[in-house]
Amino acid sequence: MEKLTFILIVLPFLSAIFCYITPYRKIRSSIVMATAFLLIMSSLMLIRITPFSFSPITVLGADIHHIVLILDFLILFLIFYFGIKHHHLLIIIFAILQIVLLGYLEYFMIKEQTVSPIFYCDSLSLIMILIISIVGSIICIQSIPYMKNHEEHLGLRISREPRFFGVMLLFLGAMNGLVLSNDLLFLYFFFEITTLCSFLLIGHDNTERTIRNAVRALWMNSLGGALFIIALVILNSQIGALDMQKIIHTPKAGLWFLPIALLCFAAFTKSAQFPFQSWLLGAMVAPTPVSALLHSSTMVKIGVYLVLRLGPAIQGTFLTHCVAIFGAFTFLAAAALAVGQSNGKKVLAYSTISNLGLIFACAGINSSAAITAGILLIIFHAITKALLFLCVGVIEQHIESRDIEDMRGLYSKMPVTALITVIGVITMIMPPFGLLLGKWMAIEAASRNIIVIIVLALGSALTVMYWARWAGILMSDPFAGKFKTEKQPILTWVSLVSLCLGATLLSMISPWLYSWMIIPIFNEKYLQSYIVTRGILENPSGSFAVIPLSILALIGFFVSVLAVRKALRARVVPPYLSGVQLSEPGTFLGPMNQPVKAEAKNYYLSSIFGEQRLTIWVNLVAMVLITMLIGGAL
Amino acid sequence: MSMSMQILLVVLGVVAGPLIGGLIGGLDRIITARFQSRVGPPVLQPFYDVNKLLAKEYTVVNAWQAFCAYSYLAASMISVALFFLQSDMLVIYFVQAVGAIFLVVGALSSTSPYSQIGAHRELLQMLAYEPLLVLVIIGIYIETGSFKISAVYSWDKPLLLKLPFLFVVLGYALTIKLRKSPFDLSTSHHAHQELVKGVTTDYSGPLLGLIEIAHWYDVVLFLCFCSLFWATNIAGMIILISITYFLEILIDNVSARMTWRWMLGNVWAIGLTLSLVNLIWLYQQ
Amino acid sequence: MFKKLIRNSRMKSPWLLHFDCGSCNGCDIEVLACLTPVYDVERFGIINVGNPMHADLFLVTGTVNSRNSMVLRNLYEQMPNPKIVVAIGSCGLSGGIFREAYNVVGGVDKIIPVDVYVPGCPAKPEAIIDGVVTGLQKYDRIVN
Ligand code: SF4
Repeated sequence: MEKLTFILIVLPFLSAIFCYITPYRKIRSSIVMATAFLLIMSSLMLIRITPFSFSPITVLGADIHHIVLILDFLILFLIFYFGIKHHHLLIIIFAILQIVLLGYLEYFMIKEQTVSPIFYCDSLSLIMILIISIVGSIICIQSIPYMKNHEEHLGLRISREPRFFGVMLLFLGAMNGLVLSNDLLFLYFFFEITTLCSFLLIGHDNTERTIRNAVRALWMNSLGGALFIIALVILNSQIGALDMQKIIHTPKAGLWFLPIALLCFAAFTKSAQFPFQSWLLGAMVAPTPVSALLHSSTMVKIGVYLVLRLGPAIQGTFLTHCVAIFGAFTFLAAAALAVGQSNGKKVLAYSTISNLGLIFACAGINSSAAITAGILLIIFHAITKALLFLCVGVIEQHIESRDIEDMRGLYSKMPVTALITVIGVITMIMPPFGLLLGKWMAIEAASRNIIVIIVLALGSALTVMYWARWAGILMSDPFAGKFKTEKQPILTWVSLVSLCLGATLLSMISPWLYSWMIIPIFNEKYLQSYIVTRGILENPSGSFAVIPLSILALIGFFVSVLAVRKALRARVVPPYLSGVQLSEPGTFLGPMNQPVKAEAKNYYLSSIFGEQRLTIWVNLVAMVLITMLIGGAL
Repeated sequence: MSMSMQILLVVLGVVAGPLIGGLIGGLDRIITARFQSRVGPPVLQPFYDVNKLLAKEYTVVNAWQAFCAYSYLAASMISVALFFLQSDMLVIYFVQAVGAIFLVVGALSSTSPYSQIGAHRELLQMLAYEPLLVLVIIGIYIETGSFKISAVYSWDKPLLLKLPFLFVVLGYALTIKLRKSPFDLSTSHHAHQELVKGVTTDYSGPLLGLIEIAHWYDVVLFLCFCSLFWATNIAGMIILISITYFLEILIDNVSARMTWRWMLGNVWAIGLTLSLVNLIWLYQQ
Repeated sequence: MFKKLIRNSRMKSPWLLHFDCGSCNGCDIEVLACLTPVYDVERFGIINVGNPMHADLFLVTGTVNSRNSMVLRNLYEQMPNPKIVVAIGSCGLSGGIFREAYNVVGGVDKIIPVDVYVPGCPAKPEAIIDGVVTGLQKYDRIVN
């Protein structure tokens, strides 16, 4: 147990240091792979011993509290330094605020350490650890070939890879630590590390644009950190402890809700909910594995993890209602904004925000069915989004564009990647895959809440729209003939295929996933929601036949594949172009016998869903909702 | 429900679905012809059409069209089968959405601007009716306390009395799904002047036949949804469906095709208002 | 029996594509007249689909010239088999009064095989319907 947690948290830190100092790419790659392997193995072994809790006294021979405290101040001063370096007043203010409050908290308020256990692992933490360690490791593996390409493309003389992999591994350790921490000071410490990692990785390319976006991410996340520490100070003065489990189970009184509301607020900033979405959109300038790891599958999940954790504490209050409405609103607004985008990475970013909003809505509805939905969404969103980001990364390195319009007919250029991307999209929006299962549960759980349900209904229709058109475009090319193969580094295939399999196969066993991993989360406050019989998830008001539907989907899939094989032998005719098409696909004979390219662009409906048009209003509404949340807690 | 009974129902749904759908299509064409003081084709005309299409030469623009057409058919079949199994309405809705998505993806896989634009219009149509459908299902759930169709059948009062506005909302979704004017934007039974055949432009021969069959399943599914509003006895169901469908044909014949902007604005504004009002009623009880 | 069923269906559901291949519009108006309620060709299952991918019948009016011969061939090739071509009007048959013009290639059968010739300048709607029905007899001779 201690060994496993050591591997999960401290080992990545050590390998990060090694990565940072190794000048050789080969050694670095093997360190990354070895760490990835160890992380995957130990996270799997953790399944057997969950739940557990323990409090280590020392780590690597030093008092753990001192280490954390020193590093905490170190990080805050680093942030302060970056604030001064980039002349950003807000960062400086937030950093000073945090330093002062942390000092006050440590030296004046906490007389002796009372938190025990420091680390606590239940099924929720376990699920997060599995996502971080497995999906995160796969992404790290894919970044090895990706970064090689990336640096060759930029033509750097001094490789920045050591820094990159160092920070990536550091981040994995910090994430594992965060979800295991029960002591809120530890949680805060890891929270700040992830903020710093995010800043460093967004600014990795060291151009003016990346640095501007990194600084923006830093100040918004520092705001989250500041809110967090304020919440801690209040919590400490209210109940005299910074113990997550104790906080959840303390009866509510006095100013009790304010710190919780502040923690939710901090969670919103970390999960890039409106009006803080701009940092996540800006973060898309980072190399794609970074977007996959930090900005879709793990770091932004901290927010929803926190709110899910705090769920039992706020059940049945006005606060949870606010979170539900806020989440649903974000779900809708981000989906609408995604419709107006043609930049592939931005679509992914908005869709991430949107899905996080949905998870917040689930956490806010706060019934056991909704929590189940939220957790399923976390799992499958992490896998599928990581997959899609990696695909876009591979595509981008190939066609030098991340615009959806430029991916027209991608199938003819890079068939396998295009197919995997399409599968990724399909797992996003179609039954019987996990995300849709989650959405189904969310809608059924929200159906008693009239505002939330209407917003969810609109949002899910918009979601279908922007995904379906992307999937269609990838295949948009006259094609009937031999399947072509494509060349990519073996590590790329390994990571893409394993994520793809994960997204599809895990969906099929989701009923068991539910009974093994999710049911243990519910304590006495929640009724168990679904019963699993023969692969069918069922409760009194609804049922989702996962296994039968999967079997039918598989049959349908194979029949369709056979149909394609038959169609490959069919006569190929050119697409209809009023009869004036030329032999070159997509061109027709225009005036003066000149060939003209026939162009059709997607509807992006920018007059309705354009960023410029919507963002102001969306931010305004979001701010009103957040004010309501904080005000309601007072 | 016993296992054999379930299997029987599924087989019934899968076999009877297209038969009923085709017959309804034939009747539709005759009644439309009479509205226009014509005689119209025989009742079995849709079957002749599909039969002919299936026997035609297999030509494709892009082999993925075949994948999409078969998947569309499969999804529509499964959704009807699920309905006959009286399972979860929301799941049925999701499964039928799969079919619609595949139709769009297949149309997008051709480079022809006609089918591309048709596909986008189809997406906009889905955008218009999907939220409404979810709200209708939610309304039924609030009333009966379950998402399962079996609960609707065991409910002792006709739902129409409690959910009149939601029935109108469902009518909007039905009009769009049946490809009737004013919502026949993406494709329709008749030739489009501006878009050739919209979303189905580049499907031909057997694949077009499959899409036609899948469309029959969709029609049947949506009419089944309508029938839930008078599920207490069979006569009520049939009368309700007949009146609804007749009104659909009438609307089709008296209205012109509108733009997607109009559709989206109109359907969302009216549909959402009506469902909101009706849902608030239900929540009050 | 199966073959008979298919043949029957083909006879009862000819979807048509009408192509104006440089006609003076006289014949086009007559073709469209067939589709009006007065003649109501939907009785025979005929629908104007306006799309070669869906069509069984190809009604061509007017002369072929050097520019539109490519279009004529393209449309013909996009139609899945079995297909029937009906050339309408003197122009479609032979080039008609435009026969002597410098850009005219001639009748439709110079470019694609024609099954039925409907004469007239313009051809009468009754004649066109008759031509289509005659063309449908071709399905008797098609083996598959
Ligand atoms: S045949 Fe006569 S009516 Fe027809 S296109 Fe030629 S000139 Fe015109």
